Amino acid sequence: MIARQFVSYLLIFCFVAFLPVQNATAHGGVVEEDDLCVIKVNYLRAHFKVYQPSAAGHEQYCEDLPVAAESIFVMEYQHDSLSTMPIDFRIIRDVTGKGRFARIEDVDAIDDLEDATVYYQPPVVEPHIYTVNYEFLEEGGFIGIVSATHPETGKIYAAVFPFEVGFTGLGYWPFIIGLLLLIQFQYLLMSGRLRRWFGKEPVVAASLLVCVLLVTPAAFAESPIVTYTTPDGTPVINHMHSWILHIKDENGLGIEGAIVDVDGGMPEHNHGLPTKPRVTAELGGGDYRLEGMRFHMSGYWEIVVTITTDSGKSTVTIPIRL
Amino acid sequence: MRVRSHKLVLAAGLIALISVACGQLSSSPPAWTVAEVEVLRSLWLDSLSDLPADRSNAVADNPVAAGFGRQLFFDARLSANGGISCATCHQAERGFTDGLQKAQAIGTTARHTPSIVGAAYSPWQFWDGRRDSQWAQALAPLEDPNEHAIDRGQVVALVAEDADYRASYESLFGALPDLPISDPLALNMAFANIGKSIAAFERTIMPTASRFDAYVEAVVNNDIDHQATLFSDDEVWGLRLFIGEANCTQCHNGPLLTNHEFHNTGVISFPGDVPDKARIAGVAEVMESEFSCRSSYSDDPDHYCPELDFARTGLDLIGAFKTPSLRNLENTEPFMHKGQLATIAEVLVHYNQAPDAMIGHNEAKPLGLSDRELGQLEAFLATLASAPSF
Repeated sequence: MIARQFVSYLLIFCFVAFLPVQNATAHGGVVEEDDLCVIKVNYLRAHFKVYQPSAAGHEQYCEDLPVAAESIFVMEYQHDSLSTMPIDFRIIRDVTGKGRFARIEDVDAIDDLEDATVYYQPPVVEPHIYTVNYEFLEEGGFIGIVSATHPETGKIYAAVFPFEVGFTGLGYWPFIIGLLLLIQFQYLLMSGRLRRWFGKEPVVAASLLVCVLLVTPAAFAESPIVTYTTPDGTPVINHMHSWILHIKDENGLGIEGAIVDVDGGMPEHNHGLPTKPRVTAELGGGDYRLEGMRFHMSGYWEIVVTITTDSGKSTVTIPIRL
Repeated sequence: MRVRSHKLVLAAGLIALISVACGQLSSSPPAWTVAEVEVLRSLWLDSLSDLPADRSNAVADNPVAAGFGRQLFFDARLSANGGISCATCHQAERGFTDGLQKAQAIGTTARHTPSIVGAAYSPWQFWDGRRDSQWAQALAPLEDPNEHAIDRGQVVALVAEDADYRASYESLFGALPDLPISDPLALNMAFANIGKSIAAFERTIMPTASRFDAYVEAVVNNDIDHQATLFSDDEVWGLRLFIGEANCTQCHNGPLLTNHEFHNTGVISFPGDVPDKARIAGVAEVMESEFSCRSSYSDDPDHYCPELDFARTGLDLIGAFKTPSLRNLENTEPFMHKGQLATIAEVLVHYNQAPDAMIGHNEAKPLGLSDRELGQLEAFLATLASAPSF
């Protein structure tokens, strides 16, 4: 009984977690995932959010907007290829009569799209992030249409998201429907009709584990030891300087011929280094010259050194407090 | 009767509590620790290093070039309507800013006029660092259709046709080519030379010692009596917050109170504009810029360009703007990259709240300071007032 309850909850969890994803892949749109609002332009994803800075300051919305006001739509790409695609953005009055169930087919069926259009941003390549600003003059139902054109194949990917401006709380409907579906699922499971799921879970878990083990890259048996010296003297804030990295194996022997990559930042401030330092010369005996180092604040920094050799890859973090 | 005596005891207790609380708030700040004195010394104008050499500009420290550049800086003939000079937006009496949200010249520009005081210390120019030298920076507004709205041919012609200007130019750079200059490289070189002269003047625009600097001197000398005459308790408390709990010196550090780096601090977008991408676009632009350190117009034969070579790129830079100096904020409002915040008090409230950024991530965290503490910070910032020299 307890096992069945567990599986029933697991199923509910899977159901809740994957339902919106499947919905969205069927027709590109805006969905909420893990408290994050995501727009799916076919398989291309972007973090989606809308602001009404003049009316609501930094308040963030996903789709529905409380008032007719200046509205800024932001897409932060989660998929690099969007950075190279011309993207256009259209907002139309909802003339489909389908409300929040409008899909791309409904938009395609509109006779005079231009007539319904209240805002159109022609295709433009915007690296990293895409923003438009439109001031809604009236409340009502609207549909957003985002199209991205693949630069090589010319294929057009689209997302359609109906939303309301001046909405009054209809947004609870999906939640109620979801709850009803969950209750139905619970019933099906507890009544034993989904017992066939038993026995599948361990197999799935085992294959996942094998998968993870297979894709984990080869690693050093022991982490290398990385120390550094600063030939220009103690690092001074806001001055570019160089380091010598001393990279040794667990027996204290210098590791030669390694590819050494350096990154870092201030974990407490959630930002990286002000520069992009790199190893410019191998000096022999496991010594490497690292140029372009600069710190722009005092505080706790971490320098992350990634060492790749024939025998594997290892990452060593050097903590520094300035 | 018993009830009344209880009330009396309660009232007396309250009064005692309030007076203790007030005593706490208005108490004198404790003496600075050795570590704090070192932090204060690092912010002191006396700690400012020598002006860094500009290897790309052979006349950077040439007084003749600075004099020529000063004339150009104030010359409104360098514009489409004859009414706009560099000084139209960079007004000395306003700390080389203009008091407007967005700069107004021939048209309205995209951003707020930044101060140029002490800019020679920065590896990057403009709010988004899209130029890597003062001379390359000086050329951009001349050709911007919203600023001076003229072209390089007109700029060089103006210098060539003004006898004084021509004499200055030729004494510095040799003979000007005959007009009109058909060789684009020769035209660009002459244009770059004019920018280098303006930069030579701009290098001389420097902050001067403020009351804060006198206070630090008194602290360094352990002259407690003099400290008390220079700073009120509120100003000292504000300074304590500035180097401590308020986290200001994470970015506003060094004697110029800036780290010359780029940070996203979640400032709200300007009405009618989309959020500004800032440094992520600026770093892409500077890499390709026509008059960069790597260009043939640089005077450095080695083309030693470590700033460009090791410049940071990546998504951290979305919405990240260059940290401005906090010296001499007096008469320089409004603030931020589009003048979104009208007063220092508004700026402090913004950092106290640290709202989520509209694009990218706000690096600042909410501070939880009281109104009184924000007032003390504001009082401290006012002690940095001191008109720049030029």
